[in-house]
Amino acid sequence: MPFNGKSGKFNASINAVEVGCGEKAIKLGGENVLPFYTFDAPIENSPKVGVMISDLGLENEPAGVKAYYEGCTTMADIAKKAAAMPGADFVCLKLESADPNGQDKSVEDCMAVVKEVVDAIDVPLVIAGCKNVAKDADLLTKASEVAQGKNAIILSAKEEDYKGIGAAAGLAYNQKVGAESAVDINLAKQLNVLISQLGVAPSNIVMNVGTAAVGYGFEYVVSTMDRIKAAALSQDDKQLQMPIITPVADEAWNVKEAMASEEDMPEWGDQEARGVGMEVSTAASVLASGSNAVILKHPTSVATISKMIKELM
Amino acid sequence: MALKGLDIFKLTPKTNCKECGSPTCMAFSMKVAQGAVDISKCPHMSEEAMATLSEATAPPMKTIKVGTGDAEYTLGGETVLARHEKTFVSKPRFAVRVTPDMDVDAALAEANKVDYDRIGERMHAEMVYVECNGDAAAFVEAVKKVTGKGKTIVLACKDADAAKAALDVCKAEKPILNGADASNYEKMVELAKEAGVVLGVSGADINELYDTAAAIEKLGYKDLVLDTTGATIKETFATTVQVRRACLAKEPDRTFGYPSIVNLSKIAPNDEAMQISLASVFVLKYGSIIVMDTMNYARGLALFGLRQNVYTDPQKPMKVEPGIYPLNGGDENSVVLTTVDFALTYFVVSGELERSGVPCNLVISDAGGLSVLTAWAAGKLSSTSVSKFIKEEVEPKVKSRKLIIPGKVAVLKGDIEAKLEGWQVIVAPNEAVQLVKFLKDLQASGEI
Amino acid sequence: MTLFDRVFGGNDAVYGLTEAAIDKAIAEHGADKAIAFPHTAYSLPCYYAVTGTKVANLGELKTALGVVKTLMTREKRLNDAFMSGVATALCAEFIEVLKYIDGATPYEEPLYGHLADATIRELGVPLVTGDIPGVAVILGSAPTKEDAVALVKSYQAQGILVTLVGGVIDQCVEAGLNMGYAVRIVPLGKDVTSVIHVVSVALRAALIFGNVTPGDAANLMKYTFERVPAFVNAFKPLDDVIVACGAGAIALGFPVVTNETENIFRVPKSLIVQEDVDKFNATSLEARDIKIKITKIDIPVSFASAFEGEIIRKGDMQVEFDGSRKDCFELVQTKELTQIEDHKFTLIGKDFDEFEVGSKNAISYIVDVAGKNMQSDFEPVFERKFHSYLNCIEGVMHTGQRDMIRVRISKATFEAGFRAKDLAEVLYANIKNEFDAVVDKCAVTIITDDAECTKLRHDLAIPAYDRRDERLTTLTDEAVPVYYSCIMCQAFSPSHVCVVTPERLGLCGAVSWLDAKATNELDPQGPCQVITKERVIDENLGRYEDVDEAVAKFSQGALEHVTLYSIMEDPMTSCGCFECICGIEPCSNGVAITNREYAGMTPLGMTFGELASMTGGGVQTPGFMGHGKHFIASKKFMKAEGGFERIVWMPKDLKDTVADRLNKAAKEVYDIDNFTDMIGDETIATDPETLLTFLTEKGHPALKLEPLM
Repeated sequence: MPFNGKSGKFNASINAVEVGCGEKAIKLGGENVLPFYTFDAPIENSPKVGVMISDLGLENEPAGVKAYYEGCTTMADIAKKAAAMPGADFVCLKLESADPNGQDKSVEDCMAVVKEVVDAIDVPLVIAGCKNVAKDADLLTKASEVAQGKNAIILSAKEEDYKGIGAAAGLAYNQKVGAESAVDINLAKQLNVLISQLGVAPSNIVMNVGTAAVGYGFEYVVSTMDRIKAAALSQDDKQLQMPIITPVADEAWNVKEAMASEEDMPEWGDQEARGVGMEVSTAASVLASGSNAVILKHPTSVATISKMIKELM
Repeated sequence: MALKGLDIFKLTPKTNCKECGSPTCMAFSMKVAQGAVDISKCPHMSEEAMATLSEATAPPMKTIKVGTGDAEYTLGGETVLARHEKTFVSKPRFAVRVTPDMDVDAALAEANKVDYDRIGERMHAEMVYVECNGDAAAFVEAVKKVTGKGKTIVLACKDADAAKAALDVCKAEKPILNGADASNYEKMVELAKEAGVVLGVSGADINELYDTAAAIEKLGYKDLVLDTTGATIKETFATTVQVRRACLAKEPDRTFGYPSIVNLSKIAPNDEAMQISLASVFVLKYGSIIVMDTMNYARGLALFGLRQNVYTDPQKPMKVEPGIYPLNGGDENSVVLTTVDFALTYFVVSGELERSGVPCNLVISDAGGLSVLTAWAAGKLSSTSVSKFIKEEVEPKVKSRKLIIPGKVAVLKGDIEAKLEGWQVIVAPNEAVQLVKFLKDLQASGEI
Repeated sequence: MTLFDRVFGGNDAVYGLTEAAIDKAIAEHGADKAIAFPHTAYSLPCYYAVTGTKVANLGELKTALGVVKTLMTREKRLNDAFMSGVATALCAEFIEVLKYIDGATPYEEPLYGHLADATIRELGVPLVTGDIPGVAVILGSAPTKEDAVALVKSYQAQGILVTLVGGVIDQCVEAGLNMGYAVRIVPLGKDVTSVIHVVSVALRAALIFGNVTPGDAANLMKYTFERVPAFVNAFKPLDDVIVACGAGAIALGFPVVTNETENIFRVPKSLIVQEDVDKFNATSLEARDIKIKITKIDIPVSFASAFEGEIIRKGDMQVEFDGSRKDCFELVQTKELTQIEDHKFTLIGKDFDEFEVGSKNAISYIVDVAGKNMQSDFEPVFERKFHSYLNCIEGVMHTGQRDMIRVRISKATFEAGFRAKDLAEVLYANIKNEFDAVVDKCAVTIITDDAECTKLRHDLAIPAYDRRDERLTTLTDEAVPVYYSCIMCQAFSPSHVCVVTPERLGLCGAVSWLDAKATNELDPQGPCQVITKERVIDENLGRYEDVDEAVAKFSQGALEHVTLYSIMEDPMTSCGCFECICGIEPCSNGVAITNREYAGMTPLGMTFGELASMTGGGVQTPGFMGHGKHFIASKKFMKAEGGFERIVWMPKDLKDTVADRLNKAAKEVYDIDNFTDMIGDETIATDPETLLTFLTEKGHPALKLEPLM
């Protein structure tokens, strides 16, 4: 008697959200099964991999990243090179230099960078802020305007600033709103409801439900994503059916495991290999938990994760 | 459906005889319902009741013990598909793959370099996976080299004679014999029975795996693990998930109610980043033994961290040890900061403090493993708890008399100052991410 | 003349002018002559929005005028007047577009005329966020240029975008007022028809931000009414044309405030006569329901949560108010909207600088609030926040509540200039900000006069507190129309949902039915949601279809049924933050309760910790249940199984805590005296056998009840 497995296909599905335009546009979401459960039903849009670049340039990047971008002098060069990275589906431009606690660059200066990158590449674009709520409110509102016509994801609108960023990205300039919450299903849902109430169509919202590097309270990330997918698919909760995008690079490369130098921790061995380990482990884990896209930075990570996705589809 | 404690209680003798080790029949029944003790611990249960209960309380997935002594591990026994539903119970174990043509000693030595402690848990590759490549004598030699090394042995061998020879060497260490398939299972069952070891079962596909497992059960052998490794990554994932899902379904299919073995060396050979990625996926999705080429820090730091996170009980938060943690070269004159012992809070706060580069002493007192606001609300983080810890543990060791408290419990400032003579209490921002700027500003203004 | 006559007359006049102008233009340029506003993709935006038809040349404009004519019905009904108003506005747009023929630039500095699409996209964002809380349209000439400037500046100070039409522009120019888009004062044009350029902004906003389909007039007006916070201030004299335009504004949901008294007809909330131009601002904001956010509290010292734990010692104290020595109180009172002047501050008695340093005095503060959605049940919710508000002031310490308060003000804060009005300002600003969903107006009275404090405490405050307490005791599950869910704990316990009813507060002991109600009203998307109780299945068990549905929804399907009053059948789940756990004790046919503070053994054979691991995490465990301390003496406590007379054991401390209430309830319900004396505790027994002996001795009622199972 052969094994009689029941299909885990659901009647509800995740929204399919198109990002970018033209031939290189991508679709996030659309599936009606748990992540990679292709044995239950085919998954039309495979999860996507993005490459993060920062307007701070390459100075603080690990050697492997620097090497990949060798010869790039402008942000346009870097963006083009990122778009061409093997395995990359999209590029994420992070406007880190705007951070008031860092370089505190003006919004205008940052917009010049956005313009430069927008003009340089034709792959889908994600624009991320500097994580300072007050600054991002202005920065990302303006970025939505500057990137008009790109159908970009604006990352992100939070509970504190969703109105301005949500209205600019989702209503005024026809971008996609990235709704960011802090690892809690109810907060994620509440923010989706609030952004919807502004008049933003659900098909224009993607979620960043928050993440951590593996080992750093990652169980909350897993459970939050598991629960969101369960609610979206088995309960047909429309307010949680937005696809999930997860910026992994920032978290994974900012913990001791990736930052401690070989001098400080000789027994730990090659620092870059540790960073890649943290990045791919975190990325694979959020994908297995339900992320429809991840944002990475190391070429090895991008190649590996995109290959893993292909193998699993 | 699992029985509730009260249903079990109704079948107990209700004498509170305490022979089972629980003070009352009620307490015993509740523990049985939770799966914490076996129903057979009650010596006075009627046979009829026993039969009813054994069936109903038998776990859908068997708990399998392998190895001996310090290297004894429990696999399986899971009751849920997602950790938030209750909790995962048996951590997946990592196995390092060796073959007879390798320098086995060197391979083990290399893998053993990773052996450290993380929040009270020892992190190392617990198992060794010895693959037979056809030469029985060489296989036995390799098995000899891994025996007595404190690692649970998995013998990957489908040849009965070679397997027998290997078992003769190592069976005292309770290895797993991963060798049964549709063609040889009868012999393998005999071997496993004889040696008293757990048998690994594989199949050409999920159906053959199922049929073989069913056939082995019919022979009366139920100490099994299922090798769910397929020809491809995709097939391996599909089989591993479907096996677990079948046994934890509402109507459990117990033929698949066993732990799994996933061999990444087979489906992603010589690709470290891919093995880390897939190992992460299988830590989350139902791998019980995960076989890799080796263990090193690039793999271990990520995978052990992930595993520790995912296998915590959602209702029992991870705690760090109370104490003084000097950061950035902090010494007795460096400023003191305090927060709770909830591991996540500790990691986030210490991470930000490290990033600030400001020398300081992070003081962790016992707050029941709760986050700042929760601990405060539960009375576990109070001016009394903080000041007592500072007086007893910190004052003798640290000369600085400046204490920074979490912004979320600013209300404690006055009380702490009242209880800690000579101390100046400074209120930190609400969020850890604001700490870097806050500390740098304090440093720049000469406050600390 | 009726209002209808004026609107219809004005409409007819404008229509005539428009027809003549179009005919003249066709005669001059020919019907094929292209017409357009600059920098817009929406053709003639108003006409396009209302009809869904684009107009590209003079011939089409003429056709469009025919369509406008069909709106101009002449029945004396409100709808006809509104439609004629809309028709008037569309005519104005036609007249205005003719000015732009041949790429002309009819408007020069400082006038703006037509605004580009880009401006609307830019403007839309702050409108959505509330950074621009409203749009004022000021029309005509103010009585004096000073009045004009004062009115414009009052709006500007509130962040409101001001558009100007007609004589008011010259008045502002004459007064030297700095105007322009950057300072949010936009002079549109001097002809009354130029008012269409602000209407055009509103309607394009609906198309761009509201995704309204052009031609879907019903949704268009719904959008402008709900989402575009515009209003009109029209100065007298009003001619029929302006009245007709006003009808159009009202049709879009924009109220008109005027100082015209002649031949005008008041329409509540829509056409409002305010003779005092000084009050145009307040009247307009109230009519359009615009609330101004307070971003910075204007006091001489800092206000931040970092000061919450500050203690002010005697030596550092400028003045102290002490409720234990003097008559003091704090009180929130709900008033009618008309009874309150927003932001009014009254001081009765001395200010802080008139007290002797270090002296003890009386203080009382009364915060009057009013709002369309205000309910008196929220009063204690606001009042409880006072403690945190006042403590967040640098150098102010507050303890206690109601009429047992103590407030200290430090010397440093006093020297920085902190006075009674600043204390009032803190209360005002925080109430308005935090509770803006329900508070429209707020006024604060501070009383430091001894006699007045004494009088008001006894005549006003104490009766108010008594009324509230009375309300709490009469608040029963049967007496309320709905219950509330609470999922504040789901971060820790994903599948747990609390059902909060008046007689059963959240098991953490922290969320009462009133709290849940207030949370729901103030944050409708928040953790507390309404649960109806219309479809009862079993009243005794407290089983409702509505409750089951809500629990299934909020637990994401983890939990399907709960009863409100039974611990045996589908008992309510717990997150893990319960104060107490009760579990059935089979030998005595009753239940034992233990609480978090008690670490020892119970007759159940399990400690609090062991019980908690079984009952927490949203798991349903029949026979066991987590709950708050307060619930123990509730008439709903395991009502389905006979109620609290089943209680056979409690830790001594817990028993002492609840003794008064439990004994009183037992007397009332079961006619048992000193019920707690019959209940065991750890000093009597921690095993079931000894407990049973004790209970038998005392004749505990549970022993005679129906078997629990």
